[in-house]
Amino acid sequence: MSPVDGGGVVAVRMTGVGRRFGSTVALDGAELILRRGEIHAVLGANGAGKTTLMRVLAGLDRPDSGLVEICGDVVHTFDPGHARAMGVALVQQHFTLVPTLTASANLELARPEGRLRTRRGRAHQRLNELVERYGLPVRDGVPASAMSVGEQQRLELLRALDADAEVLVLDEPTAVLTDAEADQLLAVCRRLAEDGRAVAIITHRLGEVIAGCDRVTVLRDGSVVFADDAVADHDRAGLATAMIGSEATGRFEQRLRNDGVAAASTEVMTGTAMSLEVDALSSGRLRGISLRVADGEVVGIAGIDGNGQAELEAVLAGRVAPDSGRVIVGGNDIVGGDPQARRDAGVAYIPSDRYRHGLVRPMSLSDNLELGRLPRVRAPRRRRHSDAERSLNDWSVRSAGPGASAASLSGGNAQKLVLARELSGTPPVVVACYPTRGLDPGAAGTVAERLVSRAERGAAVLWIGAELDELFAVSDRIIVLAGGRITGEFTAPFDRREIGYAMTDHHRTHDGRLVLAP
Amino acid sequence: MMRAPASTSDDTAEASGELVADGPTNVAHGIARRSMGVEMISMIAIPVLGLIVALVVGGVFIALIGENPVAVYVDVVDGVFFAPRGLSDTATAATPLLLIALGYSFAYQARVFTIGAEGQYVVAAAAGVGIVTASGVRDLPGPILIVVGLTTAACAGALWSGICGVLFNRFGASIVISSLMLVYIGQAVLQWATRVGIRDPESFVPLSRSVGAAELPNVPGINVHLGFVLAVAVVPVMTWVLARHRLGFRVRALGHNPEALDANDTPARKIIVAVLIVSGALAGVAGFVEIAGVNGKLNDAASVGYGFAAIIVALVGRLHPVGVLISALVIAALDIGFEVAARSSDLPTSMAGLVQVLVVVFVVAGDALLERRRSVT
Repeated sequence: MSPVDGGGVVAVRMTGVGRRFGSTVALDGAELILRRGEIHAVLGANGAGKTTLMRVLAGLDRPDSGLVEICGDVVHTFDPGHARAMGVALVQQHFTLVPTLTASANLELARPEGRLRTRRGRAHQRLNELVERYGLPVRDGVPASAMSVGEQQRLELLRALDADAEVLVLDEPTAVLTDAEADQLLAVCRRLAEDGRAVAIITHRLGEVIAGCDRVTVLRDGSVVFADDAVADHDRAGLATAMIGSEATGRFEQRLRNDGVAAASTEVMTGTAMSLEVDALSSGRLRGISLRVADGEVVGIAGIDGNGQAELEAVLAGRVAPDSGRVIVGGNDIVGGDPQARRDAGVAYIPSDRYRHGLVRPMSLSDNLELGRLPRVRAPRRRRHSDAERSLNDWSVRSAGPGASAASLSGGNAQKLVLARELSGTPPVVVACYPTRGLDPGAAGTVAERLVSRAERGAAVLWIGAELDELFAVSDRIIVLAGGRITGEFTAPFDRREIGYAMTDHHRTHDGRLVLAP
Repeated sequence: MMRAPASTSDDTAEASGELVADGPTNVAHGIARRSMGVEMISMIAIPVLGLIVALVVGGVFIALIGENPVAVYVDVVDGVFFAPRGLSDTATAATPLLLIALGYSFAYQARVFTIGAEGQYVVAAAAGVGIVTASGVRDLPGPILIVVGLTTAACAGALWSGICGVLFNRFGASIVISSLMLVYIGQAVLQWATRVGIRDPESFVPLSRSVGAAELPNVPGINVHLGFVLAVAVVPVMTWVLARHRLGFRVRALGHNPEALDANDTPARKIIVAVLIVSGALAGVAGFVEIAGVNGKLNDAASVGYGFAAIIVALVGRLHPVGVLISALVIAALDIGFEVAARSSDLPTSMAGLVQVLVVVFVVAGDALLERRRSVT
């Protein structure tokens, strides 16, 4: 960490910030220094604590420990209004505009002038002043929902600037933008910084950091890898490594090492039947991806959230019919947006949101076990319950019996209930989406073991995951998604650094050069 | 390969599972059963208490008009239970309410909020009467005519209701609104039918021919037309469907979490249409049964509001088929009883409507109170 030398006046200084949610440590002694006149990039993988850190700064969350200074004043009350008064404005990752209101009405809503609603002309004038002052074109008179994503973002930005922010924090502003829009946004940020503001940008795109930012702070697992370094001191590779980590950690990793020798024999798999094939699939953000999963193989899908995983999940689950492309299971096409076709083809589906797509919470456990696999006429309750009881015991789901509602289960037990249903009848293909999300380590281990054991018995398992360590431990192959494309395919032993490049939108050409994905 | 040494864990879980199956789970069953008891009490107690409070408050209104509430209620009870045709009139009046409300309760369990049975009812009545009075058909023997009429009416009601499903799936049109709008179109269809489409050429007023041999026979012993028996027979069928048939399961799943249904079972839009078809068909049957069982002819004033009154019946009956049967009988009894009481006093006949609405108000209030108490504890 370099001291003040060479930098602008410090606007924000956060030191030793800690925050935990229950047993999860979101931040552990994190640091951040923002200077006037500079754009500061905050980097980190999913769950590294970037957003939490920024929420603390904007007064949306309070830290358990540590010190936050804004323009030299120590912050004692963590309250959004207070933070705004101190000059901090946060543009959140998810838009907070009212979709049915126009641009000026959205401004009005955020900062009303007086008690009564001002006349339309006055609100319009206010918007125009802002638009001219900051050179961010936003139309008035159309509802926010009719604007392009870029325009909505500019409006969010104007709304933040409306309060005369000295410190501007943008949470993943470019994630939803096209490249041209992202470049424009960076240019705007540069201008705002040159006016003497401190600008912080949370991002995953390394290219932007190198091209558009002055300083960088990298977070991993809630602590800083390095804070307040000049971007010029780093290259892409260094940043990617810092984000993803290079050393082996955790017990999964241990397993990885032990099995490292066996990994060499994975190639035997190729040539066996391909149970699951995805062929030139396009849907929403997905742009023509093709992949294959062989019998007995676990293929992990890695990538930063929002790079097409959700679309892939929706199509494979049969929830959504893709724009184009095919999903082939055991030689048969199952595209069509029909869950029954997916089920008949023998595809088990572990949804990423088990309460939304996996379970009907108010209904009983035995009902939930039958969801999607009902005969036309159901068995008497007694028999259904005894069947349910058996599979609840098989999966050691802790519950108040088959008649209890699914809402009464803890997260881990709810997930086991989903698995109990989906993996009954030994399906040949398993699509598991973040199957250990939100589970404690014990439950996560059980779920992972059960899924891997299915592959050992010959099932083709596609595992969409967020944690690399976990993917390394369970996968035979890892496919990386970035920007809706496959940017890398890796076999064990996995190279964390290469996977890091691929996740941040890069890929290696045949002659070994590292380039941005097209 | 980097895999968990997990191949044995499934087997051990199976083995140990059988050993521990009994002890703790039995206790757990007890807990589940007890909380179910609370559910049952609230299901029965709230409507009963709601009815009692509604009658008390209704009594206050009766007193305000200047009548003696006790005397009026004695007349009401007399009119239902002791008047010569009190009980059979009640059953007759309950028939269309019961059929329509069963359809509503089925749809509401799926959280498909259709309120358009009135339209389905009149359109189906016109279609059913039209077919049984058509030349060539009307000479068929009675039982066949009845089956033909019922089938046609059910199809017409299902079609009229199904339109809402298509509008919803295609354009996202609110089912509440589209079903209500179709009521007015349905009433226009009735006006056309009685004036032009199926009008009796001999008649000077807008009126169809008599249904003739399709008239529903009275069931011996209870002196009510066959339609009532038919409606009551739907109760166990619907109970069974909800408990044991795949459609019933899907209806409940749709009501609780359409996305889970979509992801695992079958597209929710299909079930939405299925539910609308079932509720429309029942409303359609109600339409034919009422004309063929009571009036004999279809006139232009056949839209008397059963489709709306049945919403009350479904809600008070807690969307449960048996509850709906009871509430249809109670609501019909209020109608008949107050009608009788109005004859011997200055009460407006709308008194029955007032008490019915009060019942709904207090049942809804009771639900809200219970919900609040539950969330506090």
